Amino acid sequence: MMPETSPILADYIMRDSTMVFLIIGKEGNILESNNFTDALVGKKLKGLALNELFIDFGKALDLDQLLKESTEKTLVNLSTAANLPETYYFRFYDLGNTILALGEANNYEIGLLRKSMLELNQELNNLTRELQKKNAELKKLNELKNQFLGIAAHDLRNPIGIIMGYSDFLLEELIEELTPDQIVMLETIQNTSEFMLHLLNELLDLSAIESGKLRLEKQKSDISALIRKNITINGVIAAKKNIQIQMQSFESIPDVLFDENKIEQILNNLISNAIKFSLAGTTVRVNLFLTGDHVTVAVADQGQGIPPHEIDRLFKPFQVTSVKSTGGEKSTGLGLSIVRNIILGHGGKIWVESKVGVGSTFYFSLPLLRPSP
Amino acid sequence: MIDNKLFLTYQSSLLSGSRSGCTQIVNGLIKSEISIKELYINLFQRSMYEVGTLWEQNKISVATEHLCTSVTEYLISLCYPSIFSAEHTGKKAIITCTPGEYHQIGARMVADYFELHGWDGYYLGADTPADELIKFTTEKLPDLMAISISVSFNHANLLRLVDKIRHTFPDLTILVGGQGFRWGGDEAFQSLENIYLIRSLDELETKFLNPQAT
Repeated sequence: MMPETSPILADYIMRDSTMVFLIIGKEGNILESNNFTDALVGKKLKGLALNELFIDFGKALDLDQLLKESTEKTLVNLSTAANLPETYYFRFYDLGNTILALGEANNYEIGLLRKSMLELNQELNNLTRELQKKNAELKKLNELKNQFLGIAAHDLRNPIGIIMGYSDFLLEELIEELTPDQIVMLETIQNTSEFMLHLLNELLDLSAIESGKLRLEKQKSDISALIRKNITINGVIAAKKNIQIQMQSFESIPDVLFDENKIEQILNNLISNAIKFSLAGTTVRVNLFLTGDHVTVAVADQGQGIPPHEIDRLFKPFQVTSVKSTGGEKSTGLGLSIVRNIILGHGGKIWVESKVGVGSTFYFSLPLLRPSP
Repeated sequence: MIDNKLFLTYQSSLLSGSRSGCTQIVNGLIKSEISIKELYINLFQRSMYEVGTLWEQNKISVATEHLCTSVTEYLISLCYPSIFSAEHTGKKAIITCTPGEYHQIGARMVADYFELHGWDGYYLGADTPADELIKFTTEKLPDLMAISISVSFNHANLLRLVDKIRHTFPDLTILVGGQGFRWGGDEAFQSLENIYLIRSLDELETKFLNPQAT
């Protein structure tokens, strides 16, 4: 029987079988390989050295040793075209001048692996589905929250405006008739109302930013002039605390495209923050300079500095650091988060450098206008 | 619009396991604001039906079929931002496969279809044990339950499962369906009250999800 079937078997092994079939010379060179093995490795193996196919982790390939072990199936890792090693179970037969190597994959093992991968993939996809569903629900809740925040803050502004107006009126018109205690009370009402109005404005800003409704009306403007204007306004408050504000700009700064109201809001926030956390007799410096294709503004104080572990949360909403203001000024915890979003909306960047006991410098940069081609 | 040429390109990428090729096509369609319904029916469902046929005809291996399923499941997840943004109706459905049913993609598409129509489509996955399903149903009290079988030899499992559910929730409307009914088997469910065999996503839509439109 065998002599007649041998050519058929040989033809099958060379052309169709998914078994690794190799005839190896005693020197370790491949003399013959079947189609499947060439396809698995991704190249014609005939004439190549066996170590181009066998991946031998940790020790040099020893054909003599492999032949000795050939009474048992030997696991060998093969380098494949897919760049993933494949384990085949080999038997080696000494044919005299050559060695016959026959290798098979363990289909049972591969089947288990496939089933496990399939189950893991299903689980992953189901978890992704759950996660995406939760994300959509959270997005809707966040939209609702922003709507609520916007409506509440907007509707509270009018009554607070009335409280502020009447307390102003009483302080201005009836000052002669009020006792010192009553004046303190009215000033407290006025200060608290101002803070509440400031808080409501920031909540409205935050709600607009979070719901993607931040509108920037950008136009070509002179940022140096805007800084000077803001320093003048804040200079009055600084003077009350015996703090100086200086501006330094050594370069000619071209016009930049920005929303004047929003950048003024940012300057006001950074400069008033610097005053808020500075001690009497110190100086707040505002520098303006060009950095590549950006214009950068730096607001530096000689204040208390921010502890390094608090820097990361500075620009997140509702975060207040452990650093106390020097004049009892209050913080909403929203300002820097709004500032960051406005800067990002301009395509700019914001960052801070700070050292405890030395002071902090807040930087923001805005892209310069690109010259028309 | 998915024309035949695009479909064949997609199908060829799918059969060769090219996730990136398929992703490029699906992302392009999503960008062109194709309706999720068309994507589900004319791309995902059609291609997976063809994969199933090729497997039945021994033209592709079971490994290739699994590869196509994995790639399609991933591609479906690209549609989730649109699917889950539908306005909610407050209705709830539980969608599941019978015990022993490991092909989950059809059931998952049904669950997504419920979501697309504003329902909460709770999807429990492949091979769901009956006790777990009963427990989950007790917690969620759904308006409807849908059970899928993709291969016909799960008919007996489906009958047992339906029997168990009806014992605990006699008034609950149950939809059954899936490729497991391709060669029949619906007669066992015809005489049962509150049980409906649904043959397509279109039928699901017109009879249960959007009945006023018909």
